[in-house]
Amino acid sequence: MIQFFHVSKRYPGGQSALDDLTFDIARGQFVFLTGSSGAGKTTLLRMIFREEVPTAGQILVNGRNVSSIPRSKIPYLRRTIGVVFQDFRLIPRKTVFENVTYLPRVLGVDVQSQKKMAYQALRRVGLAHRLNAFPPELSGGEQQRVAIARALINDPEILIADEPTGNLDPDLSREILRLFLEVNLRGTTVILATHDRDTIQRVGRRVLTLDRGRLALDQELIGTDPPALDPLAGTEIETETEMETEAPAGYEPPEEGPA
Amino acid sequence: MNLLRSWKVSLLAVLTIAVSLFIGGAFLLVSGNLSASVERWRGEMRVVIYLRPETADADLRRLAAEAARGPAVTSVEPVTAAAARKRFQEVFPSLSNLVAGWQDEPLPASLEIGLDPRATGAPGREAWLAGWRKRPEVTLVDDDREWLGQLETVVAVVRAVGLALVAGLLGAAIFTIASVIRLTAYLHHQETEVMRLVGATEFFIRGPFYVEGLLQGLIGGLVASGALYGVYQAVHARGQGSLFSTILTLGFLPLRQVAFLVLLGGAAGLFGAVASLRREAL
Repeated sequence: MIQFFHVSKRYPGGQSALDDLTFDIARGQFVFLTGSSGAGKTTLLRMIFREEVPTAGQILVNGRNVSSIPRSKIPYLRRTIGVVFQDFRLIPRKTVFENVTYLPRVLGVDVQSQKKMAYQALRRVGLAHRLNAFPPELSGGEQQRVAIARALINDPEILIADEPTGNLDPDLSREILRLFLEVNLRGTTVILATHDRDTIQRVGRRVLTLDRGRLALDQELIGTDPPALDPLAGTEIETETEMETEAPAGYEPPEEGPA
Repeated sequence: MNLLRSWKVSLLAVLTIAVSLFIGGAFLLVSGNLSASVERWRGEMRVVIYLRPETADADLRRLAAEAARGPAVTSVEPVTAAAARKRFQEVFPSLSNLVAGWQDEPLPASLEIGLDPRATGAPGREAWLAGWRKRPEVTLVDDDREWLGQLETVVAVVRAVGLALVAGLLGAAIFTIASVIRLTAYLHHQETEVMRLVGATEFFIRGPFYVEGLLQGLIGGLVASGALYGVYQAVHARGQGSLFSTILTLGFLPLRQVAFLVLLGGAAGLFGAVASLRREAL
């Protein structure tokens, strides 16, 4: 699904961010990306959704060379990838509903369908009751769950998370991590960058370790205390009944333009 | 939505473009009405040949018959000295004493020659007029074309000054709109970043900013047209009887020129938006 072939990234000043990386990630895998600060984790993730371009090598996502796709096609690549950041990147003056429905609006989905999609995505992260809230009214964990709902709203094939628990306390981190694992159970490929070695040890899964831009270790870990996951917990199986699920009565999302 | 959200900066952009287009429209209106006046006067254009006081009525009729054979001459009216005095007293009754009680007639006899306005450059006409100027019976040949030519120069100058002024002001207006759009884009950079991240196309991201510039320009054009019409009506109402205001308020701008002003505003706004975002990372 994601293949790196001898990928290097060197900035104009000569500083090397990544050096000759070769690996591949299969569809449906859950991969931890770890390494100390400055090891190149963020650069690697940004290359997958073509925010950065390698100076050497090739990156294939679903068989397409992302560094050679024309600029006009980049949006179509990004619509298949959900991205979550450490700082959430929510717009404070927009409601939770508006924050979550950026992609449906971009896709031209009608308001009724947007409501359904937002409601289902927010139910998956346990925040369906906060549709009308503004991000500053939410806790850090809730804000990150909104960001995850935004990333999941179109059922992406790949979910990328860059230090998603970096700003959260341990309890909230566990909660967010469980969400990612449950998303992965539904078949989404998840790549999660973190420098929290304890979490990685506890959860297990495949771990790619970067050291100063090089792939130092590619290992499969057995978790010491993996969280108990219910494949159905927090997920919305799209049965006929649930597809008809409506947003709370009386809820009217503001119809506001994107800018 | 941005127009409403950041209405103060939007108002600044709208007003800047409205002022530019108002001044441009005013010059268009003045030069248009002056041109219309020139055209009207050109239709009434004539040459008056003033004769010596001692010219007899028989000579006057002979000269009139001769003048009628001139190039592009449509009519010849011989005016005797007595008829000229009578006409003066009728036109200027308060000054009638000026020409009364003289031993000889105070005003000269003349030939009022109507000319075909479509044949201002008829061949041989200059030579024909020069011939009249040299004749011993003639004291003065007054040709309307001379001052109409001067007036046409004034109209051309008004147009050129207006055009230069409008170009400068429109440039300033475009710069203002570009700055407003750039500021708005900066205020929304977080949002555009998220939109780009989720897969919005550049047109989807930039489109609202283009629409905002276009709307600011169109509203500016409408405000300018409305203000121009208000000023035109006020001048028209207050200046009845004054030659100057009569000339300037012959008619308002035709609808297509008003539409041109509004569309020019829209184009300036759109251009400002496109120019401001062309190199902007957004």
